[in-house]
Amino acid sequence: MMNTPGLLPILATGLVHTYVGNRTWALAGVDFAVERGEVVALVGPSGAGKSTLLTLLDGRLRGWHGAASVLGLALGPDRPPDRVRRAEVGFIFQEFALVERASVWRNVLNGRLGRTDPLASLLGRSTAADYAAAEAALLDTGIAELRNRRVDRLSGGQRQRVAIARCLAQEPKLILADEPVSNLDPLRSERVLSLLARTARQRGSTLLFTSHQPELAALVADRIVAMRDGRVVFDGPPERLDPTELDKIYRDEPLEHAPEPVP
Amino acid sequence: MITAADRPTTHAAWPAMLPSLVVAAVVIWAAATTETDWNRLGEAGPRILEFLGRMLPPDLSVMPEVARGLAETLRIAVLGTLGCVLASLVLGPLAAARLAPAWVHRPVRSLLALIRAIPLLLVAMLMVGAVGLGPLPGILAVAVHATGMLAKFYAEALDDVDVAPVAALESAGATLLQRLRFAYWPQIAPVVLRDTIFRFELNLRESLILGIVGAGGIGFYIQTYVRSFQYEKAATVTLAIAIVILLIEGANGALRRWVS
Ligand SMILES: Nc1ncnc2c1ncn2[C@@H]1O[C@H](COP(=O)(O)OP(=O)(O)OP(=O)(O)O)[C@@H](O)[C@H]1O
Ligand SMILES: [Mg+2]
Repeated sequence: MMNTPGLLPILATGLVHTYVGNRTWALAGVDFAVERGEVVALVGPSGAGKSTLLTLLDGRLRGWHGAASVLGLALGPDRPPDRVRRAEVGFIFQEFALVERASVWRNVLNGRLGRTDPLASLLGRSTAADYAAAEAALLDTGIAELRNRRVDRLSGGQRQRVAIARCLAQEPKLILADEPVSNLDPLRSERVLSLLARTARQRGSTLLFTSHQPELAALVADRIVAMRDGRVVFDGPPERLDPTELDKIYRDEPLEHAPEPVP
Repeated sequence: MITAADRPTTHAAWPAMLPSLVVAAVVIWAAATTETDWNRLGEAGPRILEFLGRMLPPDLSVMPEVARGLAETLRIAVLGTLGCVLASLVLGPLAAARLAPAWVHRPVRSLLALIRAIPLLLVAMLMVGAVGLGPLPGILAVAVHATGMLAKFYAEALDDVDVAPVAALESAGATLLQRLRFAYWPQIAPVVLRDTIFRFELNLRESLILGIVGAGGIGFYIQTYVRSFQYEKAATVTLAIAIVILLIEGANGALRRWVS
């Protein structure tokens, strides 16, 4: 199938995926697009398929079906994107995925690995641009004073900021964030999420983040996409996400189109 | 009520007893078929005392030779360890299921198991045949023999790492080498250091006897002094070895505490 992706950061049609051994679809036909510079929140109950969708868009999921293009280039289910593409898409992991025994500074610099000469970086040399980007990311996330601390000596909230800083240091055109503020208290959640959205807007990056707090997501996002049982069940501006819609998304009973079992 | 069916049968008890029976059979076989004059054990007490008496006082005049021999053994252990570390840095990743496909890591693992199965002295004799007498065959033998274990340990360390940061670096565009350096290495470093120190200690202990087959080091003097009944000199060698081993053990203990 031929898409006309133009320069849309994300264009997906008919995405279908099921994990080996599972009896239901993790993605049951997802269509959606994200425009350049948009800040989009992906909400929905646990197991809706949000992380699966983000992993697919990051090029780390195998064996899916459908068509997806990211930053204007088609993505295949069996070939990982090349190094340049991987560097252009940043990912913030639900479980941080930091190198525990390394310092905050080293972890943030790791975000630059896709953009540095491999040999030079192995010898411990980074470019001035690397240092500047890492420095800016530390400042933006407010963890400059923690730079020499080892990650295994940090609190959950501090780790979360390191994970965000690593992604910002990467200077990605598209940021995929899987519950980037799940470990912060309500006040900090809002601050860090606003910061992430603001930084993305300032840098002209596109941001797609998942969240379990629709109210908070509505506060910072331009647009809300809701998933349930592997499908998109709401897509619109935050204002339209009223209690009726929320009830439909999160209600604890099957929808009319409950997921058919995988054949 | 107990019925006949509930009663444990003699047959059911058999499998549980089997291991003990096998062990007993093996011990009896070993004792019965070894051509040992068990009566000698009775007279052994005074004989052993007499033998020990002949080792006293240790003849310290051979200290220079002993020191030279020990230094050579130490060099064999150091260079042999260096060799097995270098080989393991290549073979370890190739034996790791995380990094190498099955058609690579399976044969590499079998090769390492095979190397482990050959005793050091045997490897040393083969090396002496290949490159002649002296410390060189000793170094090569230690390097080859120790790689069998060390590469396996390195592979296990690699397979035990947390993959999340590896995936994160891959997502950011890091190459395989960059991932090895910045995601794998920080995680495995303490384990690799600990295993390498452990292997060095083993290498030193095992290379003490290499001289017996002409592969260099202090072993040559043990062999010479014992064969020529110079027990006072043999005593000096034994003492010197014991002291070196204790020193190395102490140093390694300290090093390991520092690593963890
Ligand atoms: N690695 C995996 N192996 C097998 N099944 C998986 C795996 N990851 C997710 N799933 C299943 O796929 C479905 C979608 O999971 P996914 O993690 O995408 O949901 P989510 O919306 O991110 O949930 P949460 O909000 O709890 O993070 C779930 O039914 C889940 O059990
Ligand atoms: Mg998730």
